[in-house]
Amino acid sequence: MTLAENLFENLRLELRRGCLTLAVLAQLRQEHYGYTLRTALAERGMVIEESTLYPLLRRLETQGLLLSEWREEGKRNKRFYRLSSDGEQVFRHLLEEWQAINTSIHNIL
Amino acid sequence: MDLLDRYLQAVKKHLPWQRQDDIVAELRANLESQLEDKEAALGRPLTTAEVEAWLKEIGPPMQVAARYQPQQYLIGPAVFPTYWYVMRLAFTWCLIIYSIVTVVQVFAGPLSGTALLEAFLRVPAVLMTTAAWVTLVFAVIEFGTTHYPGKCQLIAKYPEWSPATLPPLEKRPAPGKRPRTYAHAVGEVVFGFLFLFWLLLIPEHPFLLLGPVVVYLRASPFQLAPVWTPFFWCLVAVSVVQLGWRCENLLRARWQQPPALQQLMVSALGLIPPLVLLNAPDHVLFTLKRPALDLARYGATLYSMNKLTWLGLLAVCAIGAVNLTWRIGRIGLDAYRRRAAGVAK
Repeated sequence: MTLAENLFENLRLELRRGCLTLAVLAQLRQEHYGYTLRTALAERGMVIEESTLYPLLRRLETQGLLLSEWREEGKRNKRFYRLSSDGEQVFRHLLEEWQAINTSIHNIL
Repeated sequence: MDLLDRYLQAVKKHLPWQRQDDIVAELRANLESQLEDKEAALGRPLTTAEVEAWLKEIGPPMQVAARYQPQQYLIGPAVFPTYWYVMRLAFTWCLIIYSIVTVVQVFAGPLSGTALLEAFLRVPAVLMTTAAWVTLVFAVIEFGTTHYPGKCQLIAKYPEWSPATLPPLEKRPAPGKRPRTYAHAVGEVVFGFLFLFWLLLIPEHPFLLLGPVVVYLRASPFQLAPVWTPFFWCLVAVSVVQLGWRCENLLRARWQQPPALQQLMVSALGLIPPLVLLNAPDHVLFTLKRPALDLARYGATLYSMNKLTWLGLLAVCAIGAVNLTWRIGRIGLDAYRRRAAGVAK
């Protein structure tokens, strides 16, 4: 990997990091467990690695933005996540911020 | 499934023990669902090679487990700028104090080249110890501010500041005159240390200054008068002070334009060693090793030597004093012009 490619990769990851959280919060307005959340996001074009998504869910839950519960489905115990009321509020603010940034970038371009 | 179990077992070993069962159960449910989907899509169970490739894609167990750990810092980004500033100050003052202590120790005991070499070689260990203590203190502060944010607010918060307290703009170099570079400033510090080291070795090993002339001097009937001892230690003290200021300028990022007062002080301090010699009793700078035997033969030569050397030193001091007065005058004139320009505005 050249220096420019390496730099691009770092900047890309930095740019994606915040967007991933926004995408996860958006998708968890409906209840999902880890795997179905990942596939739902991938179907909408947001591919996230397992090793990134599952710890992120834990972190968001610790921060109080998600609620979770263990439930049996398809003969298997799964942990289902959904937005908490704090999470809904934070998601709305983040969405407004993201839209404002998006508009600004479009205007600049 | 054996491979998946082994994979999850390996992940578990790197997870925090309080949450490892919960995390592994969730990860198992997700991965098993994914595996089922893959098998359903293929219409057959995955081969061992395919499972291996899939697990490889997910990542090494240690890396996967690490993502579940909170981000940990020994010294975090909020505390780091203060840490780095304190570290640079600690290094500067550590070097200054260590140099002074070493000089005092050398002065108090018998001067030996080995002792000086040992003192010089101890510098890296002294700096590393300083760095370790500063890091330890800041690691404790980081721990406190992270784990007890309410109680450690004062430490974590930056002190109140006002733009009015910012230092005035630094003076630009005169047109056509390039500012001193960082490499230049670092070179001055490094050579300053080497010079000090060399200077301290001279009393024990005079050949470092005089070379083969030492042999001639040993055979000659003349010797240095006692006044050269205070002269030597004045020279050492001036070098230490100058070196300390250079280190401070370097670490305070003002190497391009050292403060004018500091430069004047260096010039003024530089006059002290020759002044010590000028004040030698009866202007005696050299004496005879065996006066009773050699006075008749070398008395006239000795008198000339003392007189000429003293006159030479007088000339050096006079030139230095005129230069210093000239510079003080220029600084005073510049200040007057600036004040006058300010009044005119």
